[in-house]
Amino acid sequence: MSEDRGEKRPRPRGKRPRRKVCDFCVSKIEYIDYKDYKRLQRSVNERGKILPRRMTGNCAKHQRQLSEAIKRARAIALLPYTVD
Amino acid sequence: MTMNKYEVVYIIDPAVEDEARKALINRFNELITGNGGSVDKVEEWGKRRLAYAIDYKTEGYYVLVNFQAEADLPKELERNLQISDSVIRYQVIKQIERKVGIKPRAVRPAPVAPAAEAPAAAEAPVETPAAE
Repeated sequence: MSEDRGEKRPRPRGKRPRRKVCDFCVSKIEYIDYKDYKRLQRSVNERGKILPRRMTGNCAKHQRQLSEAIKRARAIALLPYTVD
Repeated sequence: MTMNKYEVVYIIDPAVEDEARKALINRFNELITGNGGSVDKVEEWGKRRLAYAIDYKTEGYYVLVNFQAEADLPKELERNLQISDSVIRYQVIKQIERKVGIKPRAVRPAPVAPAAEAPAAAEAPVETPAAE
């Protein structure tokens, strides 16, 4: 029984996702600035929505900071709320 | 009293003349200094395109001010920004103090052979009582 526990669930062939790492951790950013809208622009999709962690691979700490920064940037019209 | 660090960004109507705009920026700065605060930095980004129209305006003159003040000043500043018809948007933010004196976390050593052995050794004594 206990021997089975270590085994991983089989994954459908050819669908192994690549391990994502947080861009902000890699570039050692302590504080995500809402004024740096060019960087923030990369973290929203073409509709202006914040990309989810499952797509970007951001860590929780930075995703929290990022969403806060994007919302602040939106408030002063540096980023759009919606694009259509 | 303790001073906090704040940062305000406000957008002035681009139709406002240069002279009037300067006077307006000065007025806000004096409001800060006149109430026991100090202005650290004034950065004028100039005329920028807005990401979306505010009051049917597509452009705005951005001003960023970093300042230190007591906790009740931002409220007063916001009140003044709100009253001014030439200011089309503003945002005051309290800047978080950087944590000092905390050592950065040690870099985790790469998992090598000794690390792989350790869990195996730990498991062994647990399994023996279960077998009995």
